[in-house]
Amino acid sequence: MQKTPNTPNYTHRHLLFGWWSLLVFVLLGLTLETFHGLKLGFYLDMSNTTRRLMWTLAHAHGGLLALIHVVAALMFQAFPDRGHTTRRQASRALIGASLLLPGGFFFGGISFFNGDPGYGIALVPFGASCLLFAVFQLARECRHES
Amino acid sequence: MTQLATDQTVRADFNGVLVDAIPGSPIELERRGNEFWARFNDPGWEGTPQERPRITRQIVMITGSHHQNIYWYATGHQRALNVLPAVYLLKDERWVPRDSVVLSPPNQGVATHDGHWNAVCISCHTTHGKTQFDTPYRSEPIASQTVGTTVVEFGIACESCHGPATEHVTANRNPWRRYGLHLWNALDPTITEPTSLDPKRSSEVCGQCHSVWEFYDVADERSASANGLAYRPGDTLTDTRFVAQPTANIESNNMQVLLDTDPDFVRGSFWADGVIRVSGREYNGLIESPCFFKADSKDRTLSCFSCHNMHKEPDDPRSLSNWANTHQLAEDMDTNNACQQCHPSIAKNVTSHTNHSAESSGSSCYNCHMPYTSYGLMRAIRSHTISSPSVEETVKVGRPNACNLCHLDKTLSWTGNHLQDWYGSAAPNLNEQQRTIAASVLWLLKGDAGQRALAAWSYGWQPAQSASGTEWMVPYLGELLGDPYDVVRYISANSIKTLSGYEGFSYDFVGTRDERIAAAVKLLNQWRNTSASRARQDPQLLFGPDGQPDISAMRLLFDQRDQRPLFLRE
Repeated sequence: MQKTPNTPNYTHRHLLFGWWSLLVFVLLGLTLETFHGLKLGFYLDMSNTTRRLMWTLAHAHGGLLALIHVVAALMFQAFPDRGHTTRRQASRALIGASLLLPGGFFFGGISFFNGDPGYGIALVPFGASCLLFAVFQLARECRHES
Repeated sequence: MTQLATDQTVRADFNGVLVDAIPGSPIELERRGNEFWARFNDPGWEGTPQERPRITRQIVMITGSHHQNIYWYATGHQRALNVLPAVYLLKDERWVPRDSVVLSPPNQGVATHDGHWNAVCISCHTTHGKTQFDTPYRSEPIASQTVGTTVVEFGIACESCHGPATEHVTANRNPWRRYGLHLWNALDPTITEPTSLDPKRSSEVCGQCHSVWEFYDVADERSASANGLAYRPGDTLTDTRFVAQPTANIESNNMQVLLDTDPDFVRGSFWADGVIRVSGREYNGLIESPCFFKADSKDRTLSCFSCHNMHKEPDDPRSLSNWANTHQLAEDMDTNNACQQCHPSIAKNVTSHTNHSAESSGSSCYNCHMPYTSYGLMRAIRSHTISSPSVEETVKVGRPNACNLCHLDKTLSWTGNHLQDWYGSAAPNLNEQQRTIAASVLWLLKGDAGQRALAAWSYGWQPAQSASGTEWMVPYLGELLGDPYDVVRYISANSIKTLSGYEGFSYDFVGTRDERIAAAVKLLNQWRNTSASRARQDPQLLFGPDGQPDISAMRLLFDQRDQRPLFLRE
């Protein structure tokens, strides 16, 4: 794919998004470790296990997705001339997944009831769909030898 | 609650420990891998004491995790269990005889028959237990009975209070259903939610265990043995069991049958006016409370859930252990806010109601209306019969009143006068002793074992110490160190340790008589050598002008003590 003035620089976009979101989720991990260290009840009490699970999942998914952004950026760098439409869709879906998946888990852990996460968890299926779609599009790109 | 004996539940050391704090031969404790074993004299032996065999049994279950560990061993006869004759006190980190942790007459031990857990404890310490004795417990020697006991879960699990949940579990696999119920704030019809029941019905959920009850007849017992207890949360409790309430059903056929077989059935659990006096039976207290039986609307009917919360709320800032150790009270319900839910007019000006300063413990609703007049777990427990202080009740029934449990150095006459002045109570008819001697002194020296235990505990209660001073207490608490009831001695020793200068007081409440006397003498000598021994020259406390106790007056009261044997069935 030839980069034109109107074509987004996907490599730059995903490197930027990947490293910054990795920073955010590493900081979240550090925060959660601090909660452990200080034995904070709103995070560690048995009655708050749902919150602990949700925020752990937010941290794990956010961190992993950040690394996927970096890998995707490297892939875009290595194979610059693949289909623009596919790449645009994959890029948007990947960014959507990175916002919706960890965001859904995080908001689902802020308020919860009877062992079920809060309404924020409704974002997670949409995020998962975005991720699935992005992975599918990226996999499609790899079908063609350069 | 009853749980399996594991490294997590067993708090005592079993590694080759010899427990010699019990009468007769010591108990030998042993670990065998993950198992706990004990060698001891068979408490379930029903032959002559001389022939009582020494047995080695595996400890399989344990009851109690807050105050004491009670250990249950497999008797070897099918699934019948019996209790180890020693109990481990968690706070004291020591073993004591099983008989010493209940308020029972000396040398009259509590029941330790094989199968006791299966037949009795199972009802409330497990979820949906089935005794499965082929004939009623104790109707014939256990060795000839079939004991096929089963439980669904150990301890109090979800279905104990919410009822059978198969349909609930199946239906709620559907997340749309769960979120829909939450979104519309709708009750789930597939399960019983005790807090949503009528207040009286909801309290019965707790009352299924926290009441004095019996089966109506043998047929009910047989059915429960085979199928588990018939009561389900939401049912009317008395449909399936007889709840003993002497004020209402003392004349009933069921009560008379119980009294025929056990003449102390009522006295062991209730004060003479029918108010419950033991812990663990709070439902009996609740149903005698005006806030419950006189309530004219559901919104203003006292229920267990008015103050208690069985699941700590997520936004409750207290730790789980803090919540659990404060009687599972809902947040802020350990303050006057509990009563002010229904009595907001009093809240507007508490001091005009209490005649105490706002900061005083005398302005606590609990202290006056739920005083420490129940006994259990080797201490005094708040009464759950909401009442107002009454000298007349104290005189007629013997139950200490709230005023004198705090003002330990005052007479009933003093209390009666204040109640008359402040609330217009009728002047009580008092005898000479009641007019001239502090009420707590009368309870300590003349009272029955239950009154002595309550009074001794109050001597160690901080609000009472603040109101009454402590410099005069040592001779009285020292007197109780020689009490015939183990529990009274235990409570007295603990109260002594709360007194300034006596924190290190050393005393073994199950030690030999000579050891106990020596400790009491040493204590009194220590007190005599302090200025405190001359600080109170108060005739109401039987102290002479020299500040020394009037031994002959104390002896006179002691000779009038209520010596009737008392076994409180907590």
